[in-house]
Amino acid sequence: MKRSTHLTLTGYAFIAPWLAAMVFLIGYPFAASLYFSTCEYPPLRGPLFIGAGNYQELAHDAVFRGSMLITIIFAVVAIPLGVVLALTLALFLNSRIRGRSIYRVVYYLPHLVPSVAVAILWMWMFNPQFGILNVLLSPFGKIISLLFRPFAAITLGVPAWLGLILVAITFALWRWLKRLSSPLFQSEVRGDSLKPGKLWNLNQWSEGRRVLASRLSGALFAAAMLFALALWLSPSDIMKVQSPGWLTDSNPFPSMLSVAPSWALWALIYMSLWGVGQMAIIYLAKLQDVPVSLYEVADLDGANWWQKTRYITIPMISPVILFNVVMGIIGAFQVFTEPYIMTSGGPEDRTRFIAMFIYDQAFQYQRLGYGSAVAWVLFLVIVGLTLLALRISRDRVYYAAR
Amino acid sequence: MSSSDKPTPWYLATPVHGILLVGAIFFVLPLLWMIATSFKPLEQTLKVPESITEALVGVGHRAEIDGRVYEVVLERQIMPSADDPYWIVRPLEEFPAGEMTHPFGPETWRKYPIFNQEELQRMEAIVTSRMKVLADRINPYDDENGILRLQSGREVKAELVKALQSVDGGEQLWLVREWRSEDTDTKEVGSTSADITRAWAVLPESGIRRSIRTIPQNYPAALRRVNFVRSFLNTMFVCVMTVVGVLISSLIVAYGFAFIDFRGRESLFKMTLATMMIPFPIVMVPTYLLYRKLGWVGTFKPLWVWSWFGSAFFIFLLRQFLLGLPKDLLDAARIDGCSELEILWHVVVPLTKAPLAMVALFQFLGSWKDFMGPLIYLNNSSQFTLSLSLQSFSSEHGGTPWHLLMAASTVFSLPLIILFFFTIRTFIRSMSTTGLKE
Repeated sequence: MKRSTHLTLTGYAFIAPWLAAMVFLIGYPFAASLYFSTCEYPPLRGPLFIGAGNYQELAHDAVFRGSMLITIIFAVVAIPLGVVLALTLALFLNSRIRGRSIYRVVYYLPHLVPSVAVAILWMWMFNPQFGILNVLLSPFGKIISLLFRPFAAITLGVPAWLGLILVAITFALWRWLKRLSSPLFQSEVRGDSLKPGKLWNLNQWSEGRRVLASRLSGALFAAAMLFALALWLSPSDIMKVQSPGWLTDSNPFPSMLSVAPSWALWALIYMSLWGVGQMAIIYLAKLQDVPVSLYEVADLDGANWWQKTRYITIPMISPVILFNVVMGIIGAFQVFTEPYIMTSGGPEDRTRFIAMFIYDQAFQYQRLGYGSAVAWVLFLVIVGLTLLALRISRDRVYYAAR
Repeated sequence: MSSSDKPTPWYLATPVHGILLVGAIFFVLPLLWMIATSFKPLEQTLKVPESITEALVGVGHRAEIDGRVYEVVLERQIMPSADDPYWIVRPLEEFPAGEMTHPFGPETWRKYPIFNQEELQRMEAIVTSRMKVLADRINPYDDENGILRLQSGREVKAELVKALQSVDGGEQLWLVREWRSEDTDTKEVGSTSADITRAWAVLPESGIRRSIRTIPQNYPAALRRVNFVRSFLNTMFVCVMTVVGVLISSLIVAYGFAFIDFRGRESLFKMTLATMMIPFPIVMVPTYLLYRKLGWVGTFKPLWVWSWFGSAFFIFLLRQFLLGLPKDLLDAARIDGCSELEILWHVVVPLTKAPLAMVALFQFLGSWKDFMGPLIYLNNSSQFTLSLSLQSFSSEHGGTPWHLLMAASTVFSLPLIILFFFTIRTFIRSMSTTGLKE
């Protein structure tokens, strides 16, 4: 009894500083922010309770809705791109080749540049007249426009929704054929529910034929995707690819898709991919923890590289991927420095990220209460998106038994 | 690409090298472009690079003027004709430079922000009889009477050096002006009256040679502009205070969470983890108001005091590491009668050096790069950290002096890159043990 009291006292003495921080620097602001969100807060006077007024105003604030949308679009585009790029890099960096430690350093370097310097550097990169990006891009842009111009001429009259329908149909076909030809499905259904004669006798096809069919439908799906993309691209988009105005251009790309990121947002997405080396190094560390025995067993079964990656590597590091996605969501809602310095929210509010919106409300317009209300909506959105990510991933993430 | 120990055969290694190299170019290119620009002359940042060499290397020109070889700037091409004649004349009387559109011709004003009429007038530059000026349509020279008619209406006596009334030999003529290294800082130019005394000439293209022009002087100029010494000291102060604070407080708290078995420990630790999920914008406003109430806005305190109370991420990190230490060691020390603090200092710290180094490194990086904190809490430019000085330099100019901005950015990034190469082992270890930060 005496000893446990003593232990408790010592324990609390040790964590006392952190307890104080949790109470005063996190707990209090967190709760106060909820209270302020229901107040009018003129900076020189105290908070005045006004109930749900701020939230009602929010519901009608087009700039707020725009900046929420932009932040979500950024998250939806930049996070998957970042994860795929980082994973690909990590897989390549994990191969046993000479000089890979040099590659690792090179890919990590951008992470060491402070964000203010990154922002200024990329403003210069994206400079439409003298920036090196457009100088390098113009030959590629010419190739792209050469490839797409005849295509665009054909697709000019076709409505854009047709592309989406084609994509959906080919996707369904592909998945269906793939599932039918998977060994698991074969062993499950063959014999009982699938009688010969049903499903166009597909289960009577030979193995090779089935695989061929599924591959062909996969190719069809890819073609439909390209076709749909081409439908979205207007001739002016294709012209623009040669030298985009980047940070100064508020038009969406592709221009027919109004929810598509604007060129300015694409620039920020592109820039965010530059810092992906950090994530790649984390994946790399986890890749090296995957037990070699798994690959050896797969080798015995005659698995190829893709199968090993798809069925061993990715499931084994899926917890880290999930972690990165969740942190990416939280991070997207904190993006501030880059738009603040590079575009100050413009052009036409197309890069006014939500963190910047809060900063503007609170510190530029001195609307502390309104800023707090936005912060709370933001918090709920983050919680919601994080739960969604966890939910979606529940059956897709593999946790090794410890 | 598998993790087996066999080296990759060449036919696989080659494409992997190829892809990694292309990727590496993408990752290094911005850094190269930054460093390349930081050594370029101003003129070149206002010009589309015509080749890769020109994009990465500073290019200038050299020409012989009056028997001496100068580094020159090509001001503009001139095409004298009967309708548009030019004269190089030497005035015999003194007159204020502002009375002429420009001693080198009118177009120069518009083209170069570094050289404008207002500035010439402000410094009251005087054209003396030792100089030559370029007379043109707007400030014509009357050869018969030996009179130069200034734009202001005044007439001064002048003698003709050379009349340029047609392009001879079909070669293009360039108006070139002596280039000096101080031209690199847009602020310095125009503030000395020596500017109009520079050597200049009208030369055919064959008299001008291209040369590599690397300008290390961009660096001192840029550092002056961001008030480097002051900002650096401010940044270092915040960095040192936060690093020391985070090390001490997080280790103590982590020790409490790891080794002292008190009631409520698990739930408090879970809460600690949960706090990591709260984005800063949510607590930004009340935190600001709290610090304002304490009278800390406009001081460095909001930037470092928090660190002395611990940081969730580092507490988590250190606790994970501490749990891996052999418990027997601690028990032995307890039996010998050591207090918990003594155990922490004499037993745990010597074993925790590597993770502590990692924490220090992470926090240093974080404080060095921080922008939003200084932006919110600092309002006096003598307190600005490097991030804030750099940002205010860039926004002041709407981002035109790219060569200086790039030089300042390079200097700003360099300490982290140097630190990285010195602590590469700690870095790699931290990556593989935690893999969590950011």
